Amino acid sequence: MKISDFALREPVVIGSDATVAETAVLMRTSGVGSVIIVDGQAPVGIVTDRDLVTRGLAEHYPTDGRIDGLMSTGLIAIDAHRDLEDLVHVFRDHAVRRVPIVDHDRVVGIVSLDDVMVFATEELSSVARVLAGQIMFPHASDEPKTPVPTT
Amino acid sequence: MFANVGDELIIEGHRVGEPRRVGKVEEVRGDEGGPPYLVKWDDTGRSTLLFPGADCRIEHAAGTTTRKDS
Repeated sequence: MKISDFALREPVVIGSDATVAETAVLMRTSGVGSVIIVDGQAPVGIVTDRDLVTRGLAEHYPTDGRIDGLMSTGLIAIDAHRDLEDLVHVFRDHAVRRVPIVDHDRVVGIVSLDDVMVFATEELSSVARVLAGQIMFPHASDEPKTPVPTT
Repeated sequence: MFANVGDELIIEGHRVGEPRRVGKVEEVRGDEGGPPYLVKWDDTGRSTLLFPGADCRIEHAAGTTTRKDS
């Protein structure tokens, strides 16, 4: 399965010259806990609501200060045409919970570890239903067909 | 930041005891040697797309250019 086939969340992005307060407002209005920071269209970092608290509030960072002073850099991303398995490897190999999906260097979506977990759980329950059916009706496909009456 | 295919990319550990991560640039996706880079990490042997941050540095491989205008 390709990542582009996965139900991607619409990326919420903001420019690197935005303020902390503007970023917080965007999080509230968009209902998200993380925002990708972009320079033009290219992602340069990510900020989570936790970053706003631990690096902003706790460090008395001004709310009118630039958001790129709080963001995490060294962004690990993945191409939209890669497989879901590759995405799982990214989560396994890197200490991240959200991965931006890119098409060339443009952000087209974001996927979280929670999204993958929900998807995997749904897939597993589908398999479980098939298995339960086979256990409960083991010979359903072996039943003789209705004989054709002969005259 | 400027990199060539084959250059070494290094991210130092952020905490005491955390090892540095080293990878090799396999593809340069940006214009004129700029990011993002497809990096094959030494520790996992897998490749990921990286938009490097300020904690990242490039060790240029021998024989490659170190500046885009050189």
